[in-house]
Amino acid sequence: MNQFFRFLIVILPILILVFFARVLLVDEDIKFANFEAKNFPEFQLNDLSGNPVEADSLDGIKLVNVWASWCITCLVEHPFLTKLSNNDIEIIGLNYKDDDAKANTWLEKHGNPYLFSMYDPRGDLAFDLGVTGAPESYLLINNKVVGHIQGEMNQAKWETIFLPLIQKAKQSS
Amino acid sequence: MNIKKLLVVIFCFSVSTPVFNQMVYEFEDPLQEKRFYELISEIRCPKCTSGSIASSDAPVSRDLKKKVYQLVLDGSTDEEIKHYVSERFGDFSDYRPPLRGSNYFLWFGPFIFLALVLAIFFIKRRI
Repeated sequence: MNQFFRFLIVILPILILVFFARVLLVDEDIKFANFEAKNFPEFQLNDLSGNPVEADSLDGIKLVNVWASWCITCLVEHPFLTKLSNNDIEIIGLNYKDDDAKANTWLEKHGNPYLFSMYDPRGDLAFDLGVTGAPESYLLINNKVVGHIQGEMNQAKWETIFLPLIQKAKQSS
Repeated sequence: MNIKKLLVVIFCFSVSTPVFNQMVYEFEDPLQEKRFYELISEIRCPKCTSGSIASSDAPVSRDLKKKVYQLVLDGSTDEEIKHYVSERFGDFSDYRPPLRGSNYFLWFGPFIFLALVLAIFFIKRRI
């Protein structure tokens, strides 16, 4: 019996240390990356050219990227998004709390990696999606939001979070 | 100080941002007002480390406060409002995460640990 307690006295602090070390050191910098899939919220918005966006234009595998012409970090991730779109990834923009004229000028100046951009000047759809600021990206598979990244999208986040989700979806279909 | 300088000072104060930025929430029912201020101090700001939306002036917190204000006026209950927010911004928005999945550890972990320590303490004393 006594030996058992001696063993516990040694092993318990070690377990606690391991637990806290894991919590503190394992780098989970991408908040909400492994979250529960949910349906894409209903919306009624136009694109940046003024045409209404059809709900079925979000079918299939789509990357929805929240951006704005006032957003500095959007400019940082822009080359990577362009690269993705050149590799046949379908990206849909969600233009967030912006002015359509400024947004269109921004796209002309920096290039347009989006199939189209939904124009959400008041941030209504963004609010229902749980957007906390720009940029953010959502992975949509058959109208379900299966992944969410806050902040700049880059190669590392793409490969560790969204790409495995896409591969899983392709395998199961 | 001459009158011109004084005018410049008054002008500077009058155009400082708080004058324009402060959102005023008006309520006819004092109970609704009380509920509103309680709710916004119980919903965590999604852009902050741990502050509530009441303490935050981040754009998303402003939107959230406006939405909570509308919902309170529309007659939603506190539970409905919290559910509405957590549906969009996740369990993170609630300071009291719901009892499910890995949250069980969060809620009961400390008590299990305390019970374990007490048990060891008493058994050990008896030996």
